[in-house]
Amino acid sequence: MNPALRTAASGMMAQQLRTEVIANNLANVNTTGFKRSRAQFEDLLYQTVQGTTVIGSPDANTQSAIQIGRGTHLAGVTRMHTEGTLEQTGRPLDMAIEGEGFFQVQLASGGTAYTRDGSFQISDQGMLTTTGGQQIVPGIRIPSDASDVSISRTGVVSYMKSGAQEATELGRIEIARFSNPAGLMSQGENLYTETPASGQAVSGFPGDEGMGRLLQGNLEGSNVEVVQEMVDMISAQRAYELNSKAIKATEEMSDVANQMVR
Amino acid sequence: MPINGMTSSASALRYWERRQEVSANNLANVSTDGFKAERVFATLLGGSEPVIGTATDHRNGTLRQTGNSMDVALGGKGFLVVETPAGERFSRGGSLRLDKDGYLADAEGNRVLGTDGPIHVGSAALSISPRGDIALDGNKASQLRIESVADGVQLAHEGGTRFVPDASRTDVADDERDVRQGSVEESNADPLGGLVDMIGVQRAYAAVEKSISVLDHVQETATSQLGKPV
Repeated sequence: MNPALRTAASGMMAQQLRTEVIANNLANVNTTGFKRSRAQFEDLLYQTVQGTTVIGSPDANTQSAIQIGRGTHLAGVTRMHTEGTLEQTGRPLDMAIEGEGFFQVQLASGGTAYTRDGSFQISDQGMLTTTGGQQIVPGIRIPSDASDVSISRTGVVSYMKSGAQEATELGRIEIARFSNPAGLMSQGENLYTETPASGQAVSGFPGDEGMGRLLQGNLEGSNVEVVQEMVDMISAQRAYELNSKAIKATEEMSDVANQMVR
Repeated sequence: MPINGMTSSASALRYWERRQEVSANNLANVSTDGFKAERVFATLLGGSEPVIGTATDHRNGTLRQTGNSMDVALGGKGFLVVETPAGERFSRGGSLRLDKDGYLADAEGNRVLGTDGPIHVGSAALSISPRGDIALDGNKASQLRIESVADGVQLAHEGGTRFVPDASRTDVADDERDVRQGSVEESNADPLGGLVDMIGVQRAYAAVEKSISVLDHVQETATSQLGKPV
């Protein structure tokens, strides 16, 4: 069969995957700390139908190569770690990182995960946890009688004891940064884990060199831009159509060829 | 009994088929970062049959900003050099990442080469200047190798949007470089042109088929009518 059929089919599959990624971005337009993804493709192997030289031919040096590619495939889906818009919530345990860095949390399985979602809660043991119940690393315990919990830009958590004049320090939040955040692996629930592609986590305090600052009472919104996704969706849809047209054209050519013998 | 027109018509059919295959590949890759479209041409070189060839269109694709520090695009001419198991290859950049040992590599894990060989990033913050100078945590470490080939040289295409360099490769001078960190180069395949081309191919293919059936008719007439006793 004509290989163009399969080539065009690979193009249709690619556009389908691209639409799936766009659909997930759009579904997460209101997810705190969500980072939009983008599907990336690579071309498949090229078939050299005719080499550059033909031995014994008088036109040996002018013979050009014919290289025909065989379509496209998914190379990866990368997250774009641009900052989302900050939304003021006024809730004392909501934190956003302005700049680079991730909150570090403890997974139930024992490893460390990283998140930009700073809507923290207090667990039944008084520990600062994510909405999914993962404890922040290093752990911070907030006493049950605490009022006016404040978190400074550099991560120092303190509160006012009832009747006391000065704030009591509870601990300091640490954040981590990566040389290639796009290489992190998504775990769902707004969590990411380290991979070889992301590089090793470098942890430090907020406000240190290369680290972002904390903003209490704010949350980082999703960085999905609806208009951009819509435009991408239109272009994916059109490209899908184009590839289906290529299949149709190829099919009709085969039909013509079949008509030759009466 | 060979008829001259038949053989050249058959080669014309082959030509249009090739062209369709190449168009299909261009269209399949309209959203492949760093992809360079191919085009098919035929030249008549004295003989009776045209010689078919393919050439790569090296015009730059649109640059798209992503904000990822490891996305690298080249604004001007030239290629990044990556180390593959088959030898050094050219690439137009794209979304790079770190391999398991902390070296800068492409999506398939081929290491990107700098002036001092592979570039170890580890957990440092990477920044790349427009001239391709690499700084890790603010300290200059190396420079990206950016090479190009002589004008008119046709590079062999390899999968994974890579090209096989040839002997005429040279470094691109610092002032001709335009490395863009945080951007990717989109495919330069032209979807509309590809579609129009495909319609033309389809029609031309049908026309050649017509000429074959006309020639067949002529032959039929010659064999069945001429031999008849009057």
